[in-house]
Amino acid sequence: MISPANILADIADYMPFMKRPAPRFISESGNRIYGIVAEYADPHAVTVAAEQFRDAGYTRWDVYSPFPIHGMEGHMGIKRTILPVAAFGAAVTGVLAALALQYFTNDIDYQFVVQGKPTNAWEPFIPVTFELGVLLTAFTCIGGMLMLNGLPRWNHPLFSSERFLKVSDDRLIIAVEAADANFDPDATRRLLEESGGTNIELIEDDD
Amino acid sequence: MAQMSARPAAISDDAYNARLEKIASSPEMREDNITLPYAGAMKLSGAMGVVGILGLLLVVIGAFVYNPKHALAAFEVGLFTVTAASLGSLFLVMIWNMMIAGWHVTIRRHFENAASLLPFCCLGLGAVVLIELWGPGREGSGVLLQWLYAEKQGTFLVEHKAGYLNPLFLGVRWVIYTVVWSFLALRLRALSREQDRTGDRWLSRKARFMSGWGLLITALTTAFAAFDFLMSMDYRFFSTMWGVYFFAISALAAVSLASLVFAGIRSMGRLTGVVTDEHFHDLGKLVFAFTCFWAYIAFGQYFLIWYSNIPEETYYFIHRTTGDWKPLFVALTFAHFVVPFVLLVSRIPKRSTLALGVAGVYMLVLTVADLVWIIRPMVYLGAEGAEAGPGMMGWWLDAAGILGVLGIYGALLIRQTASAPLIPTKDPMLHEAMAHKNYV
Repeated sequence: MISPANILADIADYMPFMKRPAPRFISESGNRIYGIVAEYADPHAVTVAAEQFRDAGYTRWDVYSPFPIHGMEGHMGIKRTILPVAAFGAAVTGVLAALALQYFTNDIDYQFVVQGKPTNAWEPFIPVTFELGVLLTAFTCIGGMLMLNGLPRWNHPLFSSERFLKVSDDRLIIAVEAADANFDPDATRRLLEESGGTNIELIEDDD
Repeated sequence: MAQMSARPAAISDDAYNARLEKIASSPEMREDNITLPYAGAMKLSGAMGVVGILGLLLVVIGAFVYNPKHALAAFEVGLFTVTAASLGSLFLVMIWNMMIAGWHVTIRRHFENAASLLPFCCLGLGAVVLIELWGPGREGSGVLLQWLYAEKQGTFLVEHKAGYLNPLFLGVRWVIYTVVWSFLALRLRALSREQDRTGDRWLSRKARFMSGWGLLITALTTAFAAFDFLMSMDYRFFSTMWGVYFFAISALAAVSLASLVFAGIRSMGRLTGVVTDEHFHDLGKLVFAFTCFWAYIAFGQYFLIWYSNIPEETYYFIHRTTGDWKPLFVALTFAHFVVPFVLLVSRIPKRSTLALGVAGVYMLVLTVADLVWIIRPMVYLGAEGAEAGPGMMGWWLDAAGILGVLGIYGALLIRQTASAPLIPTKDPMLHEAMAHKNYV
């Protein structure tokens, strides 16, 4: 769900001086609610539960596991990334920019004969063209990946949960964010229970 | 030696045999899914063989009534296309054996089939050697190999290179190429076929051991064969990149041919659930990769020679990049690299049977065009006046030579493919290949 308000809220996550939008849900202690987490017994159970959340229309949630579960993106309903399209655009940009720069400087702006070669020969332009294409593609891949996955960041509200920290060891966890349009403290908790989740915990965002 | 005979202990014989039986009884392994219909394949093979024989007859006629140099060049363009495809297949089979790769198992039998046609390619090369040494060319000998021409004898470069470029050593090298390539290709296919019957996983280790030293000497013989038959047509020219260039052509021809073959087999409803979109994805990656590799090597070779500007190297490219051959040079740059790069960079065409099959045909046509660009300019090099242009009849001869060799190669390849199961049925890694997924 991409809307200007959401994007602003996401940016505010990284910028301590920005005012964050008013929380939709507040816990009993008065803190902003980040979301709800639940633990699952085994990869099959978490896969089945993920399909239930996918089918219920949730978009801002994630499955955490200590090891990769192949095919999970299908069970979660995650669409393919648009990064390849951006990378291709960057490659085309790099190639065209390099060619334009070299033609302009060598053949139009300041003609200078080197080794008796024609000033508009395409051969010496290729290495630079190749390199700039690769360079911009690599930058776009790395930068785009970081922008899309939101890394790096100082801290994450989920880290306040002791049980969640075990996810890098031996837990399988589903976390649903309060920012999800479908989120409701009671209904979401019920869905986590019905899908087999245990140790359900409300995560507060206390800054 | 005692160590070598120790069997791998990763999985017990009983568990291993149980796994083989489980795979053998799975629905994908039923007879009509993993074999070609023999009668239909033989019909297609016969038709291609007729085309091939007619083409070669036309080449022989053309050699006598028109121009023996042109006829031999036409034959060689076809011959090196199929030799490249077979050599590339041999390379890939050995690389996969070496790497104990899992995903390739269900497509490996085709590569073994293609490689096992190397003896026929070597027969063709033998014919080329015979024609060059004693053929109907000029006075003395030499048709396309200029260092054999009578009027060149005694010139400085021919004398200088005589230690390598002499008729006897050429014959000896042809024998070495024939023995090495034929032995490796036939032996590797025989091991794989024996495993179909016995299920002995020790045979995979044998093949792997053979692939180790086989890769080394195949790399050397391929490079030197490219020097002997392609680069030394013009004995003055030299390029240390040439062996790699021919390897790039070989690998690309091999994976393009495989794309075409598997698209054909799958469109007949065979290999369902055995060769899947995932295998096509990986095959497409190889086509894409070797397209880029070809461009890298071809440009690298051209670029350094262009920059250093030394006459004994540059005239080779001047002849091919200016005048009559310039359009083909420009076309190759775009059609052989830019177009396939843009079309194959996405994952969608790689996972489509139709799109990758079309890409395979396209890249094979471009491989032929590349070899035309290498071989054909030699025919009228230095010729003047009426002899300088190929003329309408010249192009017919080219088409006859290329279709002739490709037709016979296709006929033999279909025979090989139909004579055995389409996959190695008892390979130790078969379960991995059938469950193969890319996860990207």
